Amino acid sequence: MSGQAAQDVRTENVFMSFAVTSDSHTLDAYRARGGYEALGKALRTMQPGDVEREVTASGLRGRGGANFPVGSKWSFVNKESPVVYLCCNADEGEPGTFKDRWILEHVPHQLVEGILLAAFALHARHAFVYIRGEFDLALRRLRGALDEARAAGLVGEHILGSAFACDVVVHRGGGAYVCGEESSLINSLEGKKGYPRNKPPFPAVKGFYGAPTVVNNVETLANVPWIVARGGAAYAALGNKANPGHRLFGVSGHVNKPGLYELPTGYPMKKLIFEDCGGILGGKPLKAVIPGGSSTPVLTAGEIEALTLDAPSLQQAGSMLGSGGLIVIAEGTCMVRLLQVLTRFYRHESCGQCTPCREGTAWMDDILARVVDGRGQAADLASLQEVPEGILGNTLCALGDAAAMPVLSFMKKFRNEFEYFVANRRSLNDGRLEA
Amino acid sequence: MEITIDDRTIEANRGESVLQAAMRHGIEIPHFCYHPRLSIAGSCRICLVKVEGVPKLMPACNLSVAPNMKVSTLAPEVGRAREQVMQFLMLNHPVDCGICDKAGECRLQDYEFAFGPPRSRSLDAKHHKRKLHDLSPRIQLDNERCILCSRCVRFTREISKSNMLGIVERGAHAVVERLDPESVDDAYSDNVIGICPTGALLSRDFLYQSRVWFLEPVRSVCTGCSRGCSIDLWRRKKEWRLRSLGEERNNMLYRVTVHENPEINGPWLCNKGFDQHKLATRERTLSPTLGDVPASIGQAIARARELIAAARSPAALVSAQASNEELDAFKAALGERFRVYAREDSVAQPEEVVEDDFLIKADKNPNSYGVRERFGWKALAAADAQAHDLFLVWGDWGDYAMFGRARVIHLSSFAPQRDRRPDVHIPLSMTFERSGTFCNFEGKPNRFEKVLDKPPLVEHAADVFAQLEAELAVLQRLPEAS
Amino acid sequence: MKPGPGDADASGLLEEFDRLRDVYPRQMSASLVLPLLQIVQQQKGHVTPADARLVADYAGVPPMQVVEALSWYTMLHRQPVGRHVVKVCRNIACALRGSDRLLAHVQKKLGVAPGGTTADGRVTFLAVECLASCGTAPVMQVDETYHEELDEAKVNRVLEGLR
Repeated sequence: MSGQAAQDVRTENVFMSFAVTSDSHTLDAYRARGGYEALGKALRTMQPGDVEREVTASGLRGRGGANFPVGSKWSFVNKESPVVYLCCNADEGEPGTFKDRWILEHVPHQLVEGILLAAFALHARHAFVYIRGEFDLALRRLRGALDEARAAGLVGEHILGSAFACDVVVHRGGGAYVCGEESSLINSLEGKKGYPRNKPPFPAVKGFYGAPTVVNNVETLANVPWIVARGGAAYAALGNKANPGHRLFGVSGHVNKPGLYELPTGYPMKKLIFEDCGGILGGKPLKAVIPGGSSTPVLTAGEIEALTLDAPSLQQAGSMLGSGGLIVIAEGTCMVRLLQVLTRFYRHESCGQCTPCREGTAWMDDILARVVDGRGQAADLASLQEVPEGILGNTLCALGDAAAMPVLSFMKKFRNEFEYFVANRRSLNDGRLEA
Repeated sequence: MEITIDDRTIEANRGESVLQAAMRHGIEIPHFCYHPRLSIAGSCRICLVKVEGVPKLMPACNLSVAPNMKVSTLAPEVGRAREQVMQFLMLNHPVDCGICDKAGECRLQDYEFAFGPPRSRSLDAKHHKRKLHDLSPRIQLDNERCILCSRCVRFTREISKSNMLGIVERGAHAVVERLDPESVDDAYSDNVIGICPTGALLSRDFLYQSRVWFLEPVRSVCTGCSRGCSIDLWRRKKEWRLRSLGEERNNMLYRVTVHENPEINGPWLCNKGFDQHKLATRERTLSPTLGDVPASIGQAIARARELIAAARSPAALVSAQASNEELDAFKAALGERFRVYAREDSVAQPEEVVEDDFLIKADKNPNSYGVRERFGWKALAAADAQAHDLFLVWGDWGDYAMFGRARVIHLSSFAPQRDRRPDVHIPLSMTFERSGTFCNFEGKPNRFEKVLDKPPLVEHAADVFAQLEAELAVLQRLPEAS
Repeated sequence: MKPGPGDADASGLLEEFDRLRDVYPRQMSASLVLPLLQIVQQQKGHVTPADARLVADYAGVPPMQVVEALSWYTMLHRQPVGRHVVKVCRNIACALRGSDRLLAHVQKKLGVAPGGTTADGRVTFLAVECLASCGTAPVMQVDETYHEELDEAKVNRVLEGLR
């Protein structure tokens, strides 16, 4: 099972409100916890517009990494359109992120309910779950949940005896990180390579087969039942006011207790790392944290002192909340080698459509591979600044930015290690990546 | 509405992009992947511009105009972005210019000079891809030269609809590839050569024939079908005809490119059109004959005049390959004397596309309309043929069998391929050896200009008719010879 | 749209294709491309050009579109793979928890470098990117199954179980 939460169960939690057992993911268990009551309430007593209003009032922002206000995204859709589609983005691929997998494996019905509520709000007759192809248990649990839901009249025609109908189709990805980008996901779902699309037009206007489409992250949708059940205002009161709610923060790397932690936004980062996660492996000092998935700028130990886990705080520190996947790095780690792990990743995942990303990701990786191999030159240091700058902001989709930012931030914060490696043909830290 | 691009305020139409508005006003914004007739790719990123009030640079090709939008192409960050994009494009580019046909008309070259960085900052060896291989019998592909603008792919998806080309593999491994060698070749495949902004796709026929700056285009019209697409025929510039090159290379037609004609073919042409220059090297007749015997033009005209004067029931089969001017000349000179029949000189060959819903028309002649306009269209049936004792055949003609024992005067560029020789054969100039107009199937006139000089013993049809008329007029004034 | 019934190779696949087709709304046959390719991959271990054409005809899309897709998704193979596929994550969280060490270990155990297949056709070994299991790094996927919190001993047990 995916990264287990090591924290106590709290019933007011949005996700981890129960103890995980061998059948806590089933329909019966979910219902026993109050599951599908929100859906019932919406279908009996609310209009689609009301559901959207609650979500807007909740201040919920997308949990995939872009952090865009969900109510706004839904509002861009012309509900009068003959066809509207909802796509649930379960293509979790941002390194350091493993929360959607937990949701799929442990609370798949919560996701299904969220999908149905969103589809209701959007007048979507069909919803698709684009789930990354590698997922195994997550896929089986999701399919199992949908089978149960169909059998119980929760998915399909006349849901809970109402006029609302919605079919949910599970579609497996083929192994491509870029398909987590919403327009890439749509192209992939249409049977093509996952090339992102130019925007405008945005998916909410012209998406899947040209129809208005909303693509929402798994965690985003899984928040919706709670919001509908208790009201948007109640959600807005959780956590940080500027971007409220709970998030499933994932912590990986050099901590004693890696895993998922459900926390309100605004939670102190140091507390998470040093208390909840039990501090750094081997009692070593902290060196760096990548706060929200590999695409977010790295922060030094000094920089995280007063940081809280919310968008404004991280933005002010020059980074981003991103997907909420923290990667913790202990003193003694070679940042040059670590960066090359990332440049190798982005190079592999660049779709190849636009010039700066296609050529630039390969170039950055070539440079870093050479440096790591002891064949770096002084001019490479300037290139490791110029090349990502040439990519940043110039690409067709955000993958270019995602590839450029780690290079720029690692160089900015740990320049001395790069200089050392080039000058001495070896790592300042013995090339260590393990703690 | 009005928008501003740098210091120019221009009117723009709702729904068009900044790039389209700029192009309409002659303002240049560099672009590779954009093509006015293809979907927007927005992938090359060379068209990035600065918009006031927008933090990121925006691709002008996908940026809808908005009232009072202020666009800058001169901002330092735009110059910087162009430099960076060029650096990325040139990173693994082989710089084959010295041996690449595209040099001199290569957009990549032009933009590199205009926008590229002063030096490359790459220290890594260039990555290699498949070089110089045959995409088809007509087209050569070099994947290293390719900048993956996807114009060729989009052409085969959206215009020719052959879906013959695609881009396979991910990231920097991406390459343009053909579906498979067994699939039917696209009758419009050669268009990708012209729209390719680099030397990645090249005409195999034109390969290494000449540097393009020694050549010049002359506007002409394709004679392959009644669509009558506008083409450019390329010949050696006068000042670059050198004795050392020899007669043939100084005076040949090197290639065909499309001449954009919004009225008729837009920017497209079919492969048959791209092969028009090959007509110039088709084996042709270069001197008149009387039966089997070579003759002078004077002798041929004299004999023809005799036959015409003696004929009781002369018929003429006019050529649908003839220009309007030639048809007028025929009508004026000889039209009264002959019963005029029309026919399609050229017909579809077995391997040819007969007609499609794009450019290709079933009538494989450029001026059937001109014939019909002047003479109506009466096809020669066997029954009619019996009534005539002289046939003046103008243009290619397959078979004299229908003529029975009538006399035949044949005027054509190409040797009549048959057992029976015509009584008189006068070789004619080809379309590119004179100027004129055709009317396409919609009646749209289209002008072609003279590209080459005709061979000395070959005649222009209009001159032949004038001479015949003159001679017949003289004959008329003389007492009837017995 | 569907190829002839005479093709023995295709008929087994076509049954599976038919089962899948009804999952999607009628007008979305193009969306079948990736799922159909996955069925072929599952049944045959890799996808040939003929399979690609079969999928294209069934889904009603140009063959080139399927060829492009086949070449672009990491999980689709155009060359035969071993009876088992071992994918060891080499991305950041796993790297911080010892994936380099484990990659070297697997290489030693199997006798092939990442990308290779053992001579007996038993195992294809691949180094892959993030599998979304960072909290239990280092991780590998063997066929469908995730194996998490790996050490050399655990890796050995898993590999030994592969026939």
